[in-house]
Amino acid sequence: MRAHRHPAARVALGLLIPILLLALWQAQAEVGGARALAFVPLASIAAAFAELAASGQLLTDAVTTTSRALTGLVLGASAGVLLGIAMGLFRSVDRLIGPLYHAIRQVPLLGWLPLIGLWVGNGEAAKLLIVGLAAFYPTVLNTYEGIVHAERRNTDVGALFGFSRAQLLRHVLLPGALPLILTGLSQAIAFAWIATIGTELLLGAGAGLGATMSLAQAQQRMDVILVAIAITGLIGFTLNTLFARLRGHLLRWQPAIA
Amino acid sequence: MNVTTLFDTPAAASPPIDGALTIAGLSKDFTVGGRSLPVLDGIDLVVRPGEFVSIVGPSGCGKSTLLRLVAGLDTDFAGEIRLDGKRITGTDLDRGLIFQDHRLFPWMTLEENVGLALLNSSIPKAQRARIVAEHIALLNLAGFEKAYPHQLSGGMAQRGAIARALVTEPKLLLLDEPLGALDALTRIHVQTELQRIWLRQRSTMLMVTHDVEEAVYLSDRVIIMGAKPGRIRRIVDIDLPHPRERSLPQLHRLRDEILAELIQPVPTPGEPENLVRLPVREAM
Ligand SMILES: Nc1ncnc2c1ncn2[C@@H]1O[C@H](COP(=O)(O)OP(=O)(O)OP(=O)(O)O)[C@@H](O)[C@H]1O
Ligand SMILES: [Mg+2]
Repeated sequence: MRAHRHPAARVALGLLIPILLLALWQAQAEVGGARALAFVPLASIAAAFAELAASGQLLTDAVTTTSRALTGLVLGASAGVLLGIAMGLFRSVDRLIGPLYHAIRQVPLLGWLPLIGLWVGNGEAAKLLIVGLAAFYPTVLNTYEGIVHAERRNTDVGALFGFSRAQLLRHVLLPGALPLILTGLSQAIAFAWIATIGTELLLGAGAGLGATMSLAQAQQRMDVILVAIAITGLIGFTLNTLFARLRGHLLRWQPAIA
Repeated sequence: MNVTTLFDTPAAASPPIDGALTIAGLSKDFTVGGRSLPVLDGIDLVVRPGEFVSIVGPSGCGKSTLLRLVAGLDTDFAGEIRLDGKRITGTDLDRGLIFQDHRLFPWMTLEENVGLALLNSSIPKAQRARIVAEHIALLNLAGFEKAYPHQLSGGMAQRGAIARALVTEPKLLLLDEPLGALDALTRIHVQTELQRIWLRQRSTMLMVTHDVEEAVYLSDRVIIMGAKPGRIRRIVDIDLPHPRERSLPQLHRLRDEILAELIQPVPTPGEPENLVRLPVREAM
């Protein structure tokens, strides 16, 4: 078990199952016939990758989709944190907005698409709105919970030292809520990424990994679809890993769980 | 840097004039399950400026509640609490409270925790870092300035909490079993330290403790409380000069006397002593 602590060993272990799956995939592809249509041989996928990379399309797609996801994430998550704080701090805001928030949250994101299409069209604004909403929901909820459930033991100390409301928020409530806020943000990242690909698939047009998938489907280019899927997974994984690092740094004051 | 300079002010030599606590007709009820539960009943107490008073009493008799009221954390009570004649209506930097658990913020280093107490103090910003460092050193925590509370032992964290409470130099310091979490050896060390600090700072101290020996060693007076509802049963004067020798026979005699008093059943007016009191009866 000790070997798992070694970074190289850990990476090797993490790659084990993907490599096995790829081998299985290749085996299926070599069966030939109808199978080969669904299970494109790895060599063709590699060729499609080389083609997309050389034309620059892959980079454009990756950059477009990532920046779209991050823009929506930043907008949605900041709005979410702000609203979560306001709802957590002020009962009136909670009473005013809470029920509406919980009702709207029940509607699946893509359910809004037709309506949003009518309001703002099918362009960039519509995509950002959906991605932003995806990031917004979990951030509001977690921030609110974190603020509302501030521990009395901590707020008492703030009161003792004569903290104003703003000081209490900055030095006691927000740091106390940070673990939950970060949980909300990590959900927001995952949801925003899924929502970005989803809107690109559905609203097509323009650059983006989802748009490329959608186009490739129409052209029956299974190899291109698979390249786009692989890149989507890779970027999503990278975003998550980077955020996990940031989270670990921000929560370095917590006792290690292990 | 010599840490002792902090308290060697000329004012420390003369008797303190600030920090007189007056409690008159204080009663406090809690509502539990829709019913009113009297927790403190008719507490009258005058603590002189610079006096060290300890409170002992059975668990649940309202000692922590009393300290919270004096600290101003709970303002829902009947009666009056005054500090230097001024009615207490909320928290203020002129009163400090050390809780039974350390309550350092887990997200701040020791240094930041102690420094945060000075956020609203009148001490100039330029001097704060020095004062914080001095207090950390005073509680023997030098070298752990950058440690987070989870990296400190329980006793160290509790000493950190004491440093944080002292740094604002409150006129009245309330201590709720401040040394309860410490091992016997550290406890004796911090008791001595507490006595030294008190003799220098001459702030008024009101300390809750379960350790009668600690109470008689440190205090000018020991208040014995009874439970249900919380009342003052007896006040014992410890008329001995400070600093004291732990081995003083008088201290041991007083300790035994207080312990005997604590063990005695509370005489309930109107009820024969030997009657077994059933819960039902008590509820009526
Ligand atoms: N917030 C609260 N709501 C309801 N009842 C409370 C509350 N806080 C304290 N009490 C009750 O008040 C009584 C006194 O509590 P308190 O904590 O003051 O006791 P204590 O003397 O400090 O006990 P201990 O020595 O065990 O710390 C207890 O019966 C407790 O149940
Ligand atoms: Mg208590």
